[in-house]
Amino acid sequence: MTNVAVAGNRTAWRGRFGTEPAATRPPLDARRALQLVLAAIWLLDGVLQYQGFMFTSGFNQMLAGTATGNPAVIAKPVTWDANLIDHHMVLLNAIFATIQLLLGLGIAFRPTARVALAASVLWALGVWWFGEGLGGVLSGAASPLNGAPGAVIIYALLAVLLWPAGRQVPAPFTAARAVGAHVARALWAVLWLSLAYFALTPANRAPAGVSGMIAGMEGGEPVWLQDLQKGAASLIGNQGLAASVVLAAALVLIAAGVYLPARIAKAALVLAIVVATFIWVFAQAFGGILAGGATDVNSGPLLALLALAYWPLRTVPAAPETVSVLSEEPATSASAREA
Amino acid sequence: MTPDWILDIFAAIMLVVAAVSAARLVAARPWQRGAVVTDTDVSHLLMGIAMAGMLASGLATLPNDAWIAVFAVLMAWFGYRVARDYQASGARALAAGHCAPHLVHSAAMVYMFAAQAAPSAGGGGMGGMGGMSGMSTLHVPTLAFLFALVLIGYTIWDLDQLSGLRRGLAVAVAGAASPALVGASAGPLVAGAASEPGADGSLAADSPAGPGGTGHDRTAGGGRSGLVTVLDSPGAVVGCRIAMGVTMALMLILML
Repeated sequence: MTNVAVAGNRTAWRGRFGTEPAATRPPLDARRALQLVLAAIWLLDGVLQYQGFMFTSGFNQMLAGTATGNPAVIAKPVTWDANLIDHHMVLLNAIFATIQLLLGLGIAFRPTARVALAASVLWALGVWWFGEGLGGVLSGAASPLNGAPGAVIIYALLAVLLWPAGRQVPAPFTAARAVGAHVARALWAVLWLSLAYFALTPANRAPAGVSGMIAGMEGGEPVWLQDLQKGAASLIGNQGLAASVVLAAALVLIAAGVYLPARIAKAALVLAIVVATFIWVFAQAFGGILAGGATDVNSGPLLALLALAYWPLRTVPAAPETVSVLSEEPATSASAREA
Repeated sequence: MTPDWILDIFAAIMLVVAAVSAARLVAARPWQRGAVVTDTDVSHLLMGIAMAGMLASGLATLPNDAWIAVFAVLMAWFGYRVARDYQASGARALAAGHCAPHLVHSAAMVYMFAAQAAPSAGGGGMGGMGGMSGMSTLHVPTLAFLFALVLIGYTIWDLDQLSGLRRGLAVAVAGAASPALVGASAGPLVAGAASEPGADGSLAADSPAGPGGTGHDRTAGGGRSGLVTVLDSPGAVVGCRIAMGVTMALMLILML
């Protein structure tokens, strides 16, 4: 306790912390830490959804715009959804914002973490279709720079990989604890290889494709960020093809990294975090949050978070039920507690 | 524009936070000798009133400059406390202590009042923002974003730690049903509260005498109502901090 004034015969002003006995402290292993980051992102998304722009027709038009270029079977529900929101703008957007807020709080609150993670998967899948038009995957508009394959689908992927399931076998990395190493690696490879593919689509490898996309994010941003983006756009200039090839090569390396020995895998994961950071800062302008009107943080932080979920863990051979040195508790007891 | 009724809901939540904090202060009986008053309750009370006034102009109380002065004092106070904690416990004090989040809260309040780019439309210089839907914006929006991120981080951390406590709320609820049980279970925590310190990674309970809540027992002669027990629980004060963190982050984002 940190007494400011000793309580004697007069009123004492006291602030205190840390009186919980160590035995009752909740454990925080690597998976729980990543869950909390995911919760924070959901919470931020919920707060962003309360912005004034979301209660205007601009939000509705943004949703309707994602139908463009998609097959009719995808586009029609998006258009229907946009029309529905247009008629009940305030109520529906308030509900959307509150749902995302509750998802964040629910994941952070241990007794509701499973329910919230499951709900977040359903919500993310719905938003991916009705709100993002499948991230432009089928319309040819997808690019790793603009958040392909749709930031929200990465939320769902993270919720699955960070699901608090207990497995008896030691996991080589956190994401493998829920679905197993083979499935987790396959999901990683599919995601990053798809990003590499999108980087090389005709629209993205056009001479001014990359620089134009970066320059297009400048509007409304703070001056310092505009300067950063202008610098990046002018550096790339009309070398869109070269930039796309370099980016695709990096993405392929990242995709393959998790299949390689731990030391190389770590290097690939660091590369993934660096690429995600560059994309988030230069191409996504921090999700456009500083310009107002952003609905989420975009894909950069989620890709980085995903990379952390694949960081190799050191297993402890002497204790079969112990997952890693990063885990503060055996997997079985962890799952029991999280349940 | 964000509808007024949504902002009114958050303003109401802030008034609840202020009321809970005021009740905790009253329950501590500061007029009695030996009473213990926590700085966090004072902080929550002031912030609850100020934020309600920012969200709903009809609830504005003091001019912006007055609030800046109030929260600058709080910021200096918690800054001093954080420095002390840091000396005692190192960087863990920033993550585990209660002073660091309150320092951030105070700094964010100073920033919000000081960095409004547009004068309030309907507040008449009384601190309100004319309803945020009338929307003042903030200078240096990057700082607002950073504040929002840190506040959300602390909120999530608080929720995790709160829900991980095995006792806290359970003790409070049990105590409401059986004061004798609380008296029995809370005893060791009095001794714990007198021990030094603190920053061991556990939840900042902010209760006057312990997570089980015993500070008021000493002034009340051991008898306590269920309401006091609930007010004195970690859930009450941390819940207030969570509500405040979410609302403050919302305000910062709305004012970008």
